[in-house]
Amino acid sequence: MRLTSRLGSAGLAVYFWAFVVFLFAPLVVLLIFSVNKSATPTLPLSGFSTRWFHEAFGNGELTGALLRSIAIALIAAVLSTALGIMASLGLLVLRGRAAALALTVLLLPLVVPYICLAVGLLILVQEVGARPSLVAVILGHCVIVLPFAILVIMPRLRSLDPAMNEAAQDLGASPLAALRLITLPLLAPALVSSGIICFVTSFDEFAIASFLAPSGQPTYPVFLYASARTPALLPEVIAVGALIIAGSIMLVVLAEGGRRWAERRLVGQTAGSGPLTAPDSEQPATFAIGNG
Amino acid sequence: MHPNEPGGQAHGLAARPGTGQVSLVALTKRFGSFVAVDSIDLEIPAGGFFSLLGPSGCGKTTTLRMIAGFEEPTSGRVLLDGQDIARTPPSKRPVNTVFQSYALFPHLRVFDNVAFGLRRAGVPRDEVRQRTGQALELVQLSDYARRKPGQLSGGQQQRVALARALVLRPAVLLLDEPLGALDAKLRRQLQVELKQLQAQVGITFVYVTHDQEEALTMSDRIAVVNRGRIEQAATPQDLYEEPANAFVADFLGVSNLMDATVAGPSGAGAQVRLSDSFSVEVQRGDVACRGPAKVVIRPERIGVEPAGSPGSNRIPGLLTNVVYLGSGLQLAIQLASGHAVTALVPNTGEDAVSAWSPGMSVACYLPPSGLRILGGDPPAGGRADDPANGAG
Repeated sequence: MRLTSRLGSAGLAVYFWAFVVFLFAPLVVLLIFSVNKSATPTLPLSGFSTRWFHEAFGNGELTGALLRSIAIALIAAVLSTALGIMASLGLLVLRGRAAALALTVLLLPLVVPYICLAVGLLILVQEVGARPSLVAVILGHCVIVLPFAILVIMPRLRSLDPAMNEAAQDLGASPLAALRLITLPLLAPALVSSGIICFVTSFDEFAIASFLAPSGQPTYPVFLYASARTPALLPEVIAVGALIIAGSIMLVVLAEGGRRWAERRLVGQTAGSGPLTAPDSEQPATFAIGNG
Repeated sequence: MHPNEPGGQAHGLAARPGTGQVSLVALTKRFGSFVAVDSIDLEIPAGGFFSLLGPSGCGKTTTLRMIAGFEEPTSGRVLLDGQDIARTPPSKRPVNTVFQSYALFPHLRVFDNVAFGLRRAGVPRDEVRQRTGQALELVQLSDYARRKPGQLSGGQQQRVALARALVLRPAVLLLDEPLGALDAKLRRQLQVELKQLQAQVGITFVYVTHDQEEALTMSDRIAVVNRGRIEQAATPQDLYEEPANAFVADFLGVSNLMDATVAGPSGAGAQVRLSDSFSVEVQRGDVACRGPAKVVIRPERIGVEPAGSPGSNRIPGLLTNVVYLGSGLQLAIQLASGHAVTALVPNTGEDAVSAWSPGMSVACYLPPSGLRILGGDPPAGGRADDPANGAG
């Protein structure tokens, strides 16, 4: 059955490709100019060169900012995923109005503009007598990425049979052991997703970092923003941008592969592990009672 | 739990003799204003197959969960071999559960599922391997030890759940509608096998079900639960033959409940008026009571005879419906006394089947020994002891 007219499908194709170009053109431009010989990113292209990559990694300020951001994002991702597990476990036992209220409070940072949070955090940090620091940036990032962690972990937790946790305790596991041996392994795919989303969001975050990062210790987005206005640094920034795009693509591919692997492990359908017999016929075996 | 205790029997899964006696004392569980379990007193003898039977929402599962430790009683006691375990966490009770959903751990192989409890108890590695192997052998799943639960059929998963619970040699095994998810034929086979298994290992089984046939088939004793209370606890035969009240009579199989009036003594029993013009003699039940009461008779005890058959305890009736059941016929009869009853006649051959058709006039023989006056459950408004009340 034809869902669209000939004209309609031609229009759809045009729309699709326009969409793809719109989405990826900036990235492609970045990749192209990262290997362009000229020091100014203008057409026509002036030839292939890896010079900007060398220079970027020779620039201590740039690599320092990059490593700083990676470290902050890693810590924020691990912290907020751990907090996300705890919050989700708590939300699971709450009922009715209390659950709705708790969830709203936890997800609130999603709808508050980061810039407002940033100003608030700066005032708070100064009020408690502290100074802008990387720890403050990490804490700020935890606030904004925790909702993502909860949104990823909670549905997975809800889908688990609560009787499994009870079964573990019934068989002698303490509540903590049941969490470690049963609930967490079954949550693993969601924890990986949560970690990646939190990492990327924190790595990318500008507003909070620009307010809370101490001067001389910018995160990568903050450093980028400052250097984009320094023409001499632009080619190096473009080169690192290209690397980050490549790294992101790899991360997504790896994560998806890892997620599939974990899911396969859960149901036990290891590809190529010999003949995977369908569940045997429902004919019940008589219980073989050994007699003493 | 005594997971280290060497098994006396070859299969190593037998109960320690004389253990596994459960007493519930004034056990109550409230959820907010809802009373799920209402001051239950119950004795569950050691080493038997005990069923909690009742409609959904009657409190039977909540009772089971309090024995397992997943719910804390609002008040009352749970005694296991004389010791109150009501506040003991589930991980510390010598009680294991087979869940309705099986609750197998999907990320662990069958072997590791069964070995889970032994490892938690710190049983040495060799013994874990040996006892897990025995348990899998018991349920005939030795060949499936390396599979994940997701690769097993429903019946096999059910048996893994059973092995996982039995391997710890619990004093009491709790089963929460473990056959509910299986198809009818498989369920009937497993009922028999579960009962055999229980008899062999001698562990106290406490079995929750809403299926009266299942409870009758498997149990040594049954407690009929309704609205958080025990209606009657007795052997299957006593429950079926001597139901204490209308709920029990009705819940255990089809029953014909008739409103009637007990008029006075008659022979070995009581004279009961079914209507102004029809009386019968009733020999069983609360024959000493007088006044309005309910009289019950099982469908298979009603004798359906040609119209006009002579003799006492016979009521004329009109056959309104005939259902062919294979092994017999189910006849719906409107009695001249105003009661509608269901009768079961055996299929003794082609003649027996063709003999009945809707619209026929028949006579129903209600034998005095098959009729029963139900006491303890007076109709609304209470039982009037004034004979004139029902004499009309």
